[in-house]
Amino acid sequence: MPISGTPMNFAFAGAGPARGNGRSVAIIGAGPSGLAAAGFLSCLGYQVDVYDKLPKPGGLMVFGIPAERIPAERIAQGVATLANRYGVRFHPGTKVCDRRQTDDTGDELSTRCIDLDELVRGHDAVMLCTGSWKPRTLNIPGEDLRGVYTGLAFLFPIRAAQYDKSRMREIDVANKNVVVVGAGFSAIDVAHGALGQGAARVSLVYRRTRREAPCGSHEIEQFEAAGGHWLELVTPIRVLDGEGENLGRVAGIECIQCHLGEPDEDGRRSAVPDSCAKVVLPADIVVTAIGETAAPPFAERLGLESVRKNEIHWLQMTKLDGVFVAGDALTGPSKIGKAVYSGLRAAQSLSRWLTLRAMSRELEYREDAPISREDLR
Amino acid sequence: MSADEKILFIDYSRCIGCESCESACRFVHGQPRINMTRTVGGIMAPVYCRHCESASCVKGCTRGALMKAADGMVLLNPVLCAGCETKNCILACPFGGIFCTGLDDAVAKCDLCQHRRAMGMAPACVEICPCGAMHYVTRQESLALQTAEYEAAHRKVMEHVRPVLSPSPRKERG
Repeated sequence: MPISGTPMNFAFAGAGPARGNGRSVAIIGAGPSGLAAAGFLSCLGYQVDVYDKLPKPGGLMVFGIPAERIPAERIAQGVATLANRYGVRFHPGTKVCDRRQTDDTGDELSTRCIDLDELVRGHDAVMLCTGSWKPRTLNIPGEDLRGVYTGLAFLFPIRAAQYDKSRMREIDVANKNVVVVGAGFSAIDVAHGALGQGAARVSLVYRRTRREAPCGSHEIEQFEAAGGHWLELVTPIRVLDGEGENLGRVAGIECIQCHLGEPDEDGRRSAVPDSCAKVVLPADIVVTAIGETAAPPFAERLGLESVRKNEIHWLQMTKLDGVFVAGDALTGPSKIGKAVYSGLRAAQSLSRWLTLRAMSRELEYREDAPISREDLR
Repeated sequence: MSADEKILFIDYSRCIGCESCESACRFVHGQPRINMTRTVGGIMAPVYCRHCESASCVKGCTRGALMKAADGMVLLNPVLCAGCETKNCILACPFGGIFCTGLDDAVAKCDLCQHRRAMGMAPACVEICPCGAMHYVTRQESLALQTAEYEAAHRKVMEHVRPVLSPSPRKERG
């Protein structure tokens, strides 16, 4: 399976760097949407500064998705092209802060903090592409026990430990009994990761059946072929505490049986719990890989809710003049491609806004068709 | 000889279904000419034009709106396209590589980013693919990329696109 001979090029919109246009843009977040926006804007001659809390650009493409799926060196090459050929300045390890909020995965690796107002003052425009890093939780008793991790908390250190050994350790699963809750791609990646690192037994627990699983039945077959155990129609209700010296450590997970009910709004049959049938799965490690939510900083101040509803005149511009938003930070968790598209469209919108404003012709702005649900299907 | 003609080749065994190709195509062309599909088993893969050496869509279009260009590309001439109700080209393509738009230009198909290549750039999808699954190569070079993993993944996708037969790009007879 050779990798394409055409290198990754985030600045694919143009044939090469343009003459500088004297304007500068700060992009917060170096994931797919931030890099796509940086590429587009640098094709137009903007001086682009990209800030990211992680030690390397790439976001979840590098720190969440395993290297078998996305080769990290391909992303690094694309980033190097932006830096060397287009003069994009990268500021890794820098979080643009809202000091009230520090519970996202990966915050521990940022060493510097920058204030949003500082960026707004220092640049002609700012784009927020912070993605979705806040893990969803099951909200069941015992989730705070030692040995219970979120999907990101499990996957992130596997890649991040390469950059900062002192602050990041891989979770040791060797010879342990691992239970993974969820059936999306991150659940599958966690399960394969645990198998690969020598776990004694890896079970995937899902409340619906493999037919409804977001990762698809093919992935589950491959997981089973690799030696994993698939348990369907069960939903966890309690994480069990250990006894004696293991007090405070996970000992197992209590689940109840479900059956399939009526289809819900996205067409999948819902899981209806049967309250009487309980099972207890013994576990040394429980990973809840049930997705992430976007927790962008300054959400209220920027009025992100109204941007989502498309109530602001300029496509993807926030309440703050000249601050734009794109990717998962705006739409919630989606796919890389959708983040790329959102980043490109926001960059285009940002450039039009700056251009028209410089000529005091904002009124001539032709309303862009918003990215429709159909486009994001 | 057509071995030197350049085509798009997607290694489905490397593809993770992230839709970056479709997004880049949509951004550059407005209407995407490469589209993600999901098989019943959950395999995500983009379907696209293979620029066949002997192209069924060219034969199927009664108005001559689809033509084989000198460099081997299969091109759509929208001026001649009547947007016929039967969409013969879509029916004829064994790879699902021509798409109904529902707009004035009734169908959309890949031209390997003709205008970009004229300016010295590669097709947009190839440049944005984070997995390195998309190759812009000659037909000859593509043969070496057809590994056993590729064949297995390609067959699964094709069984979904065309449930009865699982085709490979058509060669000139004789």
